[in-house]
Amino acid sequence: MIKKKICMLGAFAVGKTSLVQQYVHSIFSEKYHTTVGVKVDKKKISLNEREIDLILWDLHGEDGFQEVRMSYLRGASGCFYVIDGTRRATLDVALDLRKRAEEAIGAVPFILVFNKWDLAQEWEIDQRTVDGFQQKGAVVMKTSAKTGRQVEEAFRSLAEMMMEG
Amino acid sequence: MLPPTTLKTRSMKDSGNPPPKEPIAARSKDQPEEPLHELRSLLLGPEQQELEGLRQRLDDAGRRAEEISRVLPTAISLREAKDNKIARALAPTIDESIKASVKKNPKVLAEAIFPALGPGIRKAISSTIMGMIQSLNQLLNHSFSVRGLKWRWEALRTRKPFAEVLLLHTLVFQVEQIFLIHRETGLVLQHVESKEAMVQDPDLVSGMLSAIQDFVKDSFQTREGETLETLRMGGGRSVWIEDGPQALLAAVIRGTPPLDLRVTLKELLERVHLGYSDAFERFDGDVSPFSGLRDQLDEGLQFQIKETKARISPMLWVLLFAVVAAFCMWSFYALRSHLRWEKYLRRINAEGGLVITQTGKEGGKYFISGFRDPLAKDPESLLKEVAIDSSDVMSYWKPYHALDHELVLQRARSILIPPDTVLLTLSDETLVAEGTASGGWIKTFRTRALYIPGISAYDDTMLEDVDMDRLARSIEELKAMTLTFPLAGAQVGEGQKPALQSLLAKVRDIQSLQTLFKIPVEIVITGHTDNSGTEGLNLPLSHSRAKNVFDYLVMNGVNPEHISTRGVGTRAPLQKGSTPEDRRRNRAVSFDAFLLDSPEGMSP
Repeated sequence: MIKKKICMLGAFAVGKTSLVQQYVHSIFSEKYHTTVGVKVDKKKISLNEREIDLILWDLHGEDGFQEVRMSYLRGASGCFYVIDGTRRATLDVALDLRKRAEEAIGAVPFILVFNKWDLAQEWEIDQRTVDGFQQKGAVVMKTSAKTGRQVEEAFRSLAEMMMEG
Repeated sequence: MLPPTTLKTRSMKDSGNPPPKEPIAARSKDQPEEPLHELRSLLLGPEQQELEGLRQRLDDAGRRAEEISRVLPTAISLREAKDNKIARALAPTIDESIKASVKKNPKVLAEAIFPALGPGIRKAISSTIMGMIQSLNQLLNHSFSVRGLKWRWEALRTRKPFAEVLLLHTLVFQVEQIFLIHRETGLVLQHVESKEAMVQDPDLVSGMLSAIQDFVKDSFQTREGETLETLRMGGGRSVWIEDGPQALLAAVIRGTPPLDLRVTLKELLERVHLGYSDAFERFDGDVSPFSGLRDQLDEGLQFQIKETKARISPMLWVLLFAVVAAFCMWSFYALRSHLRWEKYLRRINAEGGLVITQTGKEGGKYFISGFRDPLAKDPESLLKEVAIDSSDVMSYWKPYHALDHELVLQRARSILIPPDTVLLTLSDETLVAEGTASGGWIKTFRTRALYIPGISAYDDTMLEDVDMDRLARSIEELKAMTLTFPLAGAQVGEGQKPALQSLLAKVRDIQSLQTLFKIPVEIVITGHTDNSGTEGLNLPLSHSRAKNVFDYLVMNGVNPEHISTRGVGTRAPLQKGSTPEDRRRNRAVSFDAFLLDSPEGMSP
C-alpha cells in the first residue's frame, strides 16, 4: 500500500474544494478551512495495478487576510496549484505560492490546474499564457469543477509524476 | 613477425591460455623483442606466474564458486548490517522458489512451516476468543440487570450503540485506537483499533491530527520538543500524542487512563524507533514495511474495566429467602400430603370390602375410584384417620359384595341376626352356628344361610334347639334349690360348695335363656333363720344370708339386674317343726323365680 501526501494550494475562491468535493472521501467539514486552515481528504486511485492512497491536504485559500501555513506542506510528495481562469490575479497568487512552497519543502511534482473551464469565454487568462507554461515543461490541466472535466486525470497525472519521481 | 609468433606459441605452451594483450600492443612498437622479453621474464617472472595463477582462478568457474562460498556468509552479514538490499534483491527469487516448490510438492513446505503454523494459529484463535469473551461477558453482565436496562434506555435516547454506552459506564479506560504517524508527511504508517472502537478513516484523522500539531506549533510559537501532548474531548475521550524524532504515536483513549500509560506509550514508540529507524528514513509512501508493527501496537490497546462488586441488594436476598422458604413449605406440604395419601391407599388396601381400581391427581385434587362393600369401613372415616381433608379428595365408589372372610361373616350376622347365645363362625365357605337358639331362629338360619353371598354351606350340628319349657324347667329347678348355713352364721356352710356351683350354673342358664327368648326373669333370694334366738337378731341375719349369696353370684359374673334379696327371719320357715333337723333346714336361703312378662303365644 502506497500513501502519498499531496497539497492543494491556490488563491481564495478558485474552487479548490468544489473541484475535489465529489471525488474524494471526506469526513471533515468545510469549517476546518477557516479554523485550522486545512482539511484533509483522501483519494484512492489505482495505478499500474497498485493501490495508492492520496492524502489530500486542501489548504485554505490565500488572500489578503490569511496566509497559507507553509508548515502544512511538509512531507508533501506533490502539489496542485489551482488557478481561477476567470481571474488573472489568481495565477499570480499560484505562482507566488509555488515559489514559496519550493523554498519550504523543495521541488516536488506539481500540476497547474486552471479551473472554471466551463466558463471559458469569460477567461481573463488567454490560451497563449497557458500554453507558455506547458512549453516551459510544467504540467497544466484545464478543469471544471462543475462538469468534472479533467479532475480524475489531474489526480492520476500527479500520482504518475510522484511515482516516477 | 615471426618472433612474436614464437613467443605466442611458447607462452601458449606454457600456460595453455591466450597471452595478455599488453605485450602484443608493445611488440608492434619495439623491434628488439627477444631481449626485452627475456628481460621482462627475468624481472617480472614471479609476478607473471602469479598473474597467471590468478587468471586461472578467475576463469575456473568451479574454483571461483568454491572461493565465493567461503566468503559469502560473511559478505551477506556485512551487507545486511549496512542496509537490507540483499533481502530486497533476494525477495523475488525466494518468492519464485517458494512458488516453484509449492507447485512441485506442497507437502514439503507444509511440513516445514507446520511447527510455526500451529502456535501462530493458536495465538490468533485465542486472541479472537479472548476478544469475543470480553465483549460477551460485558454484554451478559449488563443485559439483564436494572442498570443494564437503564443503559439500554440511554442508548435509545442518545442514539448511541449499546456497546458504546456500556463501555462509557464500565470502563476505567480503554485505548481505542493507536496511530503510528510518519512525522514528516503526517501519513499513517500503521493503525490498530480495539473491537469496540468506532473508527473513522485513519488516514484522514492522522492527517488532521498532524495538521493540528503544526497549527499549535505555529500559532503558539512553541519551542522544539514542546508539542501538543493531549487533546481532550467531551464524553471522556482524549488523544494522547507521543512525539518521536521520526514518528508520532497517537492513542485515542476513552476514560481516565493511569499516568503510567504515558510511559507505556513512550516505550512503545522507542521500541518502534529502534527497529524501524531505517524504514522511517527511507519512507516514500510505501507503508508495507510497517505491517509487522501491528502486534507491537496491539500491545498498546490496553483497557481496564471497573471492578463491579458483586453486591446483591438486600431486597434480592429477602426475595431469594422468600422463594426458598416458599419452595421448602410447598415441598413439605406436597411431601406430607403425598405420604398421607400413600398411607390412605395402604389403609384401604388393608381394609376388606374396598377395592381400588384407579387413583391419581387431577386439578390439584386426589381422586380415587373403586368398589366398596356396603359393610366395609367408610372410606371417609379412613381419610379422617390419616388427616386428609375429605374435600381434597374426589371418591367414586361402586357397591359390590366382597367375599372377604370377615365381611361374609358380618353379612351373615346382619342378615340372620343371631341371638347372643349363638356364635357364628366361617370355615372356608361354610357358616358354622354354635350355642343355643330357639327352634324358630334355627329354621330361619337353615333357610337363609345359603342365600348369603359368599356362603355355600352351613353347619348347625353344634347348635342346640331350646324352647320355653326349658326355661320353665330351669325356673322350677332353681326354686327347688336351698343353701344351708351354720347356727347364727351368715356364711354358707361347709360342704355347700357343690350346691353353690350348681346354683351359679342354674342362674346363668336362666339368664341366657331369658336373653334367648327376650323374657326377663325375676329371681328373688330369700334368707331364713331357725326359731332359736330373738326375732331382732334373726331378721338381719336372714337378710345377710341372702345378701351374701347375691354377692357370690354377682362376683361370679351374674347380671345383678332382676335379682333381688330379702330376709324373712323365722316368719316363713322352710320346715314347720322345731326338731334339730327342722332347725338346721331353716338356717338357709331359698330361691324364687318368675317370668316378668309372658312372650307371645306362651302362658306362664
